[in-house]
Amino acid sequence: MGPSSTSHAGTGKLIPPFPPQTQLDGLLAGAGYKVRSSDLHLVAQRLESLESAMVSSPSHVVSHLASDTVHYNPADLVSWVDSLLSELTHSHHHPSNPSSSSSSSSTSPPSRPLPVDLDDLFSVPSDAINWVQSEMPLSQQPPPPPPPPQQLTVVTTMEEDSGIRLVHALMTCAELVQRGDLHLAGALVDEMTALLTSINTECGIGKVAGYFIDALSRRIVGAGSVPAPPHETEILYHHFYETSPYLKFAHFTANQAILEAFEGYDCVHVIDFSLMHGLQWPALIQALALRPGGPPLLRLTGIGPPSPDGRDTLREIGLGLAEVARSVNVRFAFRGVAASRLEDVKPWMLQVNPNEALAVNSIMQLHKLLGPDPTPIESVLSWIRGLNPKIVTLVEQEVNHNQTGFLDRFTEALYYYSTVFDSLEAACQIQPDKALAEMYLQMEICNIVCYEGAARVERHEPLAKWRDRFNRAGFRPLHLGSNAFKQASMLLMLFSTEGYSVEENEGCLRLGWHSRPLIAASAWQASPGPLPLPLPMGADDYWNDD
Amino acid sequence: MAGSNEVNINESKRVVPLNTWVLISNFKLAYNLLRRSDGTFNRDLAEYLDRKVPANTIPADGVLSFDHVDRATGLLNRVYLRTTEGQPAWGFEELEKPLSTTEAVPVIVFFHGGSFTHSSANSAIYDTLCRRLVKTCGAAVVSVNYRRSPEHRYPCAYEDGWTALKWVKSRTWLRSGTPNDSKVHVYLAGDSSGGNICHHVAVRAAEAGVEVLGNILLQPMFGGQERTESEKRLDGKYFVTVRDRDWYWRAYLPEGEDRDHPACNPFGPRGCSLEGLIRFPKSLVVVPGLDLVQDWQLAYVEGLRKSGHDVKLLYLKEATIGFYFLPNNDHFYILMEEIKCFVNPNLNCQKR
Repeated sequence: MGPSSTSHAGTGKLIPPFPPQTQLDGLLAGAGYKVRSSDLHLVAQRLESLESAMVSSPSHVVSHLASDTVHYNPADLVSWVDSLLSELTHSHHHPSNPSSSSSSSSTSPPSRPLPVDLDDLFSVPSDAINWVQSEMPLSQQPPPPPPPPQQLTVVTTMEEDSGIRLVHALMTCAELVQRGDLHLAGALVDEMTALLTSINTECGIGKVAGYFIDALSRRIVGAGSVPAPPHETEILYHHFYETSPYLKFAHFTANQAILEAFEGYDCVHVIDFSLMHGLQWPALIQALALRPGGPPLLRLTGIGPPSPDGRDTLREIGLGLAEVARSVNVRFAFRGVAASRLEDVKPWMLQVNPNEALAVNSIMQLHKLLGPDPTPIESVLSWIRGLNPKIVTLVEQEVNHNQTGFLDRFTEALYYYSTVFDSLEAACQIQPDKALAEMYLQMEICNIVCYEGAARVERHEPLAKWRDRFNRAGFRPLHLGSNAFKQASMLLMLFSTEGYSVEENEGCLRLGWHSRPLIAASAWQASPGPLPLPLPMGADDYWNDD
Repeated sequence: MAGSNEVNINESKRVVPLNTWVLISNFKLAYNLLRRSDGTFNRDLAEYLDRKVPANTIPADGVLSFDHVDRATGLLNRVYLRTTEGQPAWGFEELEKPLSTTEAVPVIVFFHGGSFTHSSANSAIYDTLCRRLVKTCGAAVVSVNYRRSPEHRYPCAYEDGWTALKWVKSRTWLRSGTPNDSKVHVYLAGDSSGGNICHHVAVRAAEAGVEVLGNILLQPMFGGQERTESEKRLDGKYFVTVRDRDWYWRAYLPEGEDRDHPACNPFGPRGCSLEGLIRFPKSLVVVPGLDLVQDWQLAYVEGLRKSGHDVKLLYLKEATIGFYFLPNNDHFYILMEEIKCFVNPNLNCQKR
């Protein structure tokens, strides 16, 4: 392996056998860095060059590296070091223009933060608005509250013990259900209901346990076989995501990536897999309006369930968005596509124009396509790929609720929703918003616990699995950078509670509560080359001119 | 000075394996970007660049982890427990039982390094290190996510350490030993700033009558106004510069204070003797021979000895800072053995 291996004779405890050339260095992988063993020398050399360059550059150039340069995928050391090196050498050749990062390497598209027009977008408590406007630096944040008095600690300890017994009972019950021993399971439900009375059900384990006990009992009894009507779901969804940063994080991050992908295109088209109230789009419209060189023509196709009562809800939302666009002079066209299930949508319905830059946006939708065989996900990903989008933005819950074993699924869900409920509690005290938000979560929990087969639509899967699917379907990652990360962090500051955190993971961003990731945002582009999969059934529909 | 920089780079490359050199050099350069000359810190970029891992209740290589957050303070502790072969997937009922009813199981309260400014309990390098500690020592480990500078200066880190220690001592499920003798067998451990935190938390514990069985200070971060011989000799040679050390002390100590503040220099002109503080635990102090701060670390050892306290010095002549992050060198294995023996006094360990 070269001189360096002989130099640590005496300290050496080299790890045999040497890994093959394309393998990652296992120890660096454990530290969170992906470097091929065969690239170690290269990275080392680049690090040396980078250090020399930093030492010999004027200090304003180096500080620009930190403050203005957008960083991407820091786990990939080779490319991260390279991008810094090229920033520095570029600045060296143009010493009078230190802020020329926007025209540097092709891996770092320019950053243009989205306008935050709070009044149009969200209802935020007024002190939070002040916080953003004054750009309060972290060092001036108020100190954390003093530790609780002794008595409260004692109560917490007690609660912990009862809470632990309750969780134990829940697991046992789920196991009984998995074994088919419904009689015993039912008896345990009664016991647990009684246990609930001895703990605090306003917060913590008591709160979420109540919903799980309820879901288990429905499953045992065989009730709850009809999914809630989609419009009720929509209202609750709206409240849930209004009271927590999850949806806002998803929108901000996706919009930033879409904005960057649309650079230089005059005709752009966004397909939203679930329009809901169209909350994501005013910010993108405004950002496009502010684009240097003027806004493009923006088409938006919104998919949503058919309206039950003769109204055309999709069209109404579209009209609202058209009004926003008109007010900022963005040429805009909207089209609604009504479909009760995503798998019923056919690509020809979307009327994609080959001359436009296309963005496909899916917020918490694709997991619904992971149902029982034949699962529609592959054919849907295939037709998306066939549309040749510039970008696909994907946001999904970061958890595996699609395991076949009931106990495994139940355990994951208990842990996941405990964390989500904890975060809600800290973030939102306003009623009735909080109650409605919790009802939405209760619906998700019920769907995961009570239903099977086609009715079980909340089939969340973690980012690692989505990466596999997207890679197989002919996509490659579009990395979200430090600018998106920074904006996400700033967004979190609006929620005047500590505990939310954003993490970068291989070019994707994950939002979590106290280090537990809860949702993941990623972006994808079409891999070059021919379509990797055979076209799905019904291909004739796709190729027909509309 | 470009010429001497090149010499320095080559030197450090000769004494560590290549992947270690890449890891620590990467940190060095990234950290150079994050520290601003006005004393502020680019926290956003730091969090973006830091490689983090979530906790995992599914045992991996015999170790599972979970996070506990104190509702009132927001302080997060990551708990690492060992699992045994054939044990079913960890159930919450285990949280009611002690770690053992037959023998003492050490519980290591771990404070990660980062010069009070960098890293977190869920940083990949520290998650990995804590897992290794569990495996090697058969211990439970609780890694404390203490508040960092410059946003939170002295004494926040020590406060959080003290809070974490009290929390650990009060967990029934961290107890071990025969039923008559069941208690939490606590050791404090930390690297760099974490080592510094260990000392100060141990002092507070001793003064309050809270039992700590031992302190493990790995490459601890101490300093003083004076420039010591090792600082002058090793400045810039092995990843670390005196200038960056100064920056971190300015960021941690109260504004206007100098490095003879007792937090930084506990046995210095403004420090105090620990003589008579009988409950102060025995200490294991690990000093890398190529760490420029070693004269302060050795002075600390001297200070403990002069106060009549039990201290073992492990001096690793050819080790650089951060040698313990990757298990690819002898120093790492020597260190792990020492720690194992230190927290398992009943083991029949060879005296070195």
